Amino acid sequence: MSVNNRDPLVVGGVIGDVLERFTRSIDLRVTYGQREVTNGLDIRPSQILNKPRVEIGGEDLRNFYTLVMVDPDVPSPSNPHLREYLHWLVTDIPATTGTTFGNEIVSYESPRPTSGIHRIVLVLFRQLGRQTVYEPGWRQQFNTREFAALYNLGLPVAAVYFNCQRDNGCGGRRN
Amino acid sequence: MLSSAKHQRKHRVSAPNKNKILNKVPSISSSSSPSHSQVQKRSLITMEEVWKDINLASIHHLNHHSQHPQHNHEPRFRSHNHQNQNPNSIFQDFLNRPLNLEPTIPTSLSGDATTVTALFGSSPLAPPATVLSLNSSACFEFLDNQDPLVTSNSNLHSHNHLTNVRSSDTPFEALVTSTCFGKKRGQESNEGSGNRHHKRMIKNRESAARSRARKQEYELELKVAHLKAENARLKRQQDQLKMAAANQQPKKNTLQRSSSALF
Repeated sequence: MSVNNRDPLVVGGVIGDVLERFTRSIDLRVTYGQREVTNGLDIRPSQILNKPRVEIGGEDLRNFYTLVMVDPDVPSPSNPHLREYLHWLVTDIPATTGTTFGNEIVSYESPRPTSGIHRIVLVLFRQLGRQTVYEPGWRQQFNTREFAALYNLGLPVAAVYFNCQRDNGCGGRRN
Repeated sequence: MLSSAKHQRKHRVSAPNKNKILNKVPSISSSSSPSHSQVQKRSLITMEEVWKDINLASIHHLNHHSQHPQHNHEPRFRSHNHQNQNPNSIFQDFLNRPLNLEPTIPTSLSGDATTVTALFGSSPLAPPATVLSLNSSACFEFLDNQDPLVTSNSNLHSHNHLTNVRSSDTPFEALVTSTCFGKKRGQESNEGSGNRHHKRMIKNRESAARSRARKQEYELELKVAHLKAENARLKRQQDQLKMAAANQQPKKNTLQRSSSALF
């Protein structure tokens, strides 16, 4: 599968703001309740209070994968000076399984955007082997690229993102 | 700008006097300037005298004696005509002025700074407190009639802070614009409002671009879903046709073609 300019990840700016261009090679299926997350889907915080079900593809159970969930639009898309906010980090996910079989390094924190429409990105990386990943000191100002470089994860093998805005109203005008 | 040079000189000369005056302000008691003692009716007047003295257009301070009773009761947003030649552009000039302050100015501003602090200290709801002549091009007046004591105290406390603020244009501008001196924002600083508009426009455009991207995403996803559905349908149809074809085995192995027409 080739990535072209009409790829939702490119159109949505995820390629660029968060990730480098990559080629999908592993299936990634994220489901909140009954809703499967497709790129650009609008989901409200009330629907994502609990961690989603994540199922990944691949074939060899000996391959392990890392899932990163970040919000690059914190605190607001027009002023994302806290980019990125780490919502969830799961490592050592065996191929063909899901996050429940992995190692939850950073627990799931449900997104609660206060201002604007945020993109929430889930990225899947392939690990070289089982490895120890240290949790970052804080969730904000996380850098997925740097994280991948630090742990030799290489380019992503899959990614999906959705849009999330607050449940009620716009939150008022901001300066 | 010659007059401004004059003003500056006067300013420096009067600096020590100003400090004395300010020290006496909390006590409400007296004004160090003998010329003002005549007009002293209450602490407010003393305060006003202080600020008037600071006024760089201090040529007029002798005239202010007679005008004090009036000034106490009138809003003076635009009444500094008598003090300055360009009332409407005072603030703008001040803000537009490059930060090439002379070294003596901060000293002379120690009194002025307190006045300006009064401006910042007051909420936007309160009447603008002080019009201060920090430089020849700018002119401030003390307007707060309600609680000069409090204002003056806050001035004294925060004047140090203000002199620090003075070192950079942007925070000062920000403070000024945020306090809202009763004038429309457009009048405060041409540059500032232009920048604000520009920034707002840029942010708006980015937001619009994001919205368009989201819309395009939505369309793409719809298309993907549609195509997937059609693909599934076509596959099913193909399977059905295959089944039908398999059920009807042709008697001849070879395919028969109709004769090709010339047209």
